[in-house]
Amino acid sequence: MARVGLVVNPAAGRDIRRLTGGASVVDNYAKRRVADCVLEGLTAVADRPSVRLMPDRSGIADHILEEAPDAIEAEALEMPVENTAADTRRAAARFREAGVGAVVVLGGDGTTRDVASEIGSVPVVAVSTGTNNVVPSAVDGTVAGVAAALVATGAVLAADVVDRHGRIEARAETPNGEKRLTALAAAEVSSRSFIGSRALLDPDDLRGGVVSRARPGDIGLPAIAGALEPVAPDEPGGVAVRLTDPENSPRTARAVLAPGVVATVGIESCERVDSDEPVTFEVPDGVVGADGERELELTDASVEFRVRSDGPRLVDVDAALTIGANAGAFALEATDAPPAPED
Amino acid sequence: MGGLDIETEEGRREALRRMLTIRAFDSEAGDRFADGEIPGFVHLYIGEEAVGVGTCASLEDEDYIASTHRGHGHCIAKGLDPKYMMAELYGKAEGYCNGKGGSMHIADVDAGMLGANGIVGAGPPLATGAALSIDYQDRDQVAVGFLGDGAVAQGQVHEAMNLAATWDLPAIFVIENNHYGEGTPVEEQHNVDNLSDTAQAYDIPGLTVDGMDVTAVAEAVGEARARARAGDGPSLIEAETYRYRGHYEGDEEPYRDEDEIERWKARDPIDSFKERLIDRGELTAEEFDELEHEIEAEIEAAVEYAQSAEPPAPHEAYEDMFAETPPEIERFATAARTDGGERIEDSRSTSDRSRSEGGERR
Repeated sequence: MARVGLVVNPAAGRDIRRLTGGASVVDNYAKRRVADCVLEGLTAVADRPSVRLMPDRSGIADHILEEAPDAIEAEALEMPVENTAADTRRAAARFREAGVGAVVVLGGDGTTRDVASEIGSVPVVAVSTGTNNVVPSAVDGTVAGVAAALVATGAVLAADVVDRHGRIEARAETPNGEKRLTALAAAEVSSRSFIGSRALLDPDDLRGGVVSRARPGDIGLPAIAGALEPVAPDEPGGVAVRLTDPENSPRTARAVLAPGVVATVGIESCERVDSDEPVTFEVPDGVVGADGERELELTDASVEFRVRSDGPRLVDVDAALTIGANAGAFALEATDAPPAPED
Repeated sequence: MGGLDIETEEGRREALRRMLTIRAFDSEAGDRFADGEIPGFVHLYIGEEAVGVGTCASLEDEDYIASTHRGHGHCIAKGLDPKYMMAELYGKAEGYCNGKGGSMHIADVDAGMLGANGIVGAGPPLATGAALSIDYQDRDQVAVGFLGDGAVAQGQVHEAMNLAATWDLPAIFVIENNHYGEGTPVEEQHNVDNLSDTAQAYDIPGLTVDGMDVTAVAEAVGEARARARAGDGPSLIEAETYRYRGHYEGDEEPYRDEDEIERWKARDPIDSFKERLIDRGELTAEEFDELEHEIEAEIEAAVEYAQSAEPPAPHEAYEDMFAETPPEIERFATAARTDGGERIEDSRSTSDRSRSEGGERR
C-alpha cells in the first residue's frame, strides 16, 4: 500500500512578528483542522494510501489519529520526541527510510527546511502555517492531501509535478573555527549582533545575502531580488544582493520584507549567480539568517554562500490535480464508486 | 539601576553580572535554608535568570514589575540590593520589608518592584493596576506582570489581562514557562500548546521566545514596551525556561528525571551567554572567573550582613502593614503589647534607608 508521511510542526507560527508585523496566529487547533483536511484529501483517490504521522507532545498527532477517516489507516511513528526541530528531521529521515511516496508538511520555511535536510528525493507537499513563508504554499489542506495521494499512489508521476527547489549553503570562517548553515530560499546577512527573537525585524539591519529564488510575490530578501532580477524557484542558480543605506544609494527598491512591512532598501548590487558559484560577505559583527530567521552569530567572519540545485522536490499542487484529473484519477468506475448516500 | 542596553558591550557585561548575581544569591539562599538559617520557604530562580534579566534589560528605571513567589531573580534584575534582600530572607529589620515579609514578599516600590507574591497569579492584577495608574496620570512608564505557567489558568490572571487589553493599558505580561506548575507538567495543565496562544482571547499579540537566551527575552520585551508606550495596549510574552532546582527546597521531584534536567542545563543561560561574549572577544575566561568571584564575595558579605543584623523588635510587629493603621488593628496591637511601651509612629520605609553600592536610589 502506498504511504504518505505527515509532519505538523507544533512550534511554527508564534514568533515576534506577532508584535512587529502583520503576521497572523495559527494555533494548534487550526493546524489540527488543516491536518484533518489533509487526511480527508487522501480519500479522493480510489487506491487510498495509509498515513504515518510525526509524533509530538502537544497532542496534535493524537487528535489527528482520533479524527482520521475510517478509510485511512493512520499511525504515529515510534520515535523519541524532544519537542525541538530535531523531531522534524528525525521524522523526515524515518519517512525516507520507510519509502513513503510523499510527505505533507504543515509549517513554515523553517519546518520545510528541516524536512528537506533529511527527506532526500521524496516528493514534499509544503503547506504554509508559519509566519512569513516563501517556500510552502498557502493551499487548502484537503487539496494538498489530494495532491499527496495522487503522487504517493503513482496516479500522477512525481516527475511530472515536482519542481526541485534550490538551497543555499553558508560557510563561515571565524576566529573560532568554521560554522555552517543551510537555507532554502534565502540566506541573509544582518548587522544585528544577536539571534535574539530570531526574526529579521528591521529593514535597516539587512545587509543583503543570497537567494535561490527571486519573485516579487515572495517575502523578504527573495522579494527584493525579485523586484530586480526574477528567478523561478526551480531555475538553477540564484541572486546575490548587497544592500546599502537607501538615502545614499542611486538605486533603491520597494519590496515586501515581512507581512505588513513594505520598505525601501538601497541596492548596492543585485546580480545573478550560477549554481555552486561562491559569493562572499565579510561580517565584522552580525548574524547570518536562514529564510527570514537569524541563526548564526558571527564576529570577524568571512561567509561564503553557494546556491545548490539539490533542494527538496516540491509538489506543484495545482499541476498534480490537473494531471490527475486528466488521467481520470477522480472518475471512478461503477465498481469502485462509493455507495450512494441515503436520502 | 534598572534598564541596561544589551546592544552595548557594557550593557551585556551588566546583564551577565546580574544573571550571575541571581545564581549566586539563590545558591547561597538554598544552602542557608537547608542549614535552617532562613525561616519560611524559598523558591529558587536558578536556570531562569535570562527571563528576569532580559525583561528588566528592556525596561526603564521608572517602570514597574510585579513578581511571583519565585521572585529573587526579578528583584536583582530590577536592581535591588542583595544585601537587603538577604536580610529580608533572614527576617531582619534591615530587610526590604523590615524582616516581616521574607522571600515571598520582597518589595521596593521606589525601585519599581511592586512585590514578590505568595499568591499564584497575583502579579498580573498588580501590573494592570499599576498600568492603569500610569495611563491615568499620563506617565511614560510600563508595568510588567510576571507569572508562571501554572498561573495562566488562574481567574485573576484572566481578569487582569482582559482589563488591560480592553483599556489598552501599558502592561506587559511575561509568562515564565518553566514547564511545571509545582509537580504537574505544563501539558497536563493547559489545553493550548503554547501558552502565548491565550493572547488571542484578549485580542492582543502573544509570542513565545527562548527564555534561556537573554537577548531573545530583551528583544521581545523591548518591542512590547514600544507597543505599550505607543498606546497600543498590552502584550503577552511566553518565555520558555526551566528551573534546575525543585519547586521548593526539599522537593523530591518525582515528576522529572536527571536526563531532562541535563538537557536544559546544556542550554544554560549564563554559560551560553558567556560563550557568546567570549566568541565576540568582549570577555575572557579569566575575566569571567574574576566576575564570578567578585559576585560570590558580594553574596557572602550579604549573608554575613544578614546574619549579624537585628530582627525587628516585637513592639514593631503591627507596623508597616497599612498605609494608615485601621483603628481595630491599632486597638488589637495595643492590647497585645506586653511591654507597656508607646507605639512608634513612623515605621521605617525602604526609601529612608541608604543603599549599598550598586543599589543606589534615584
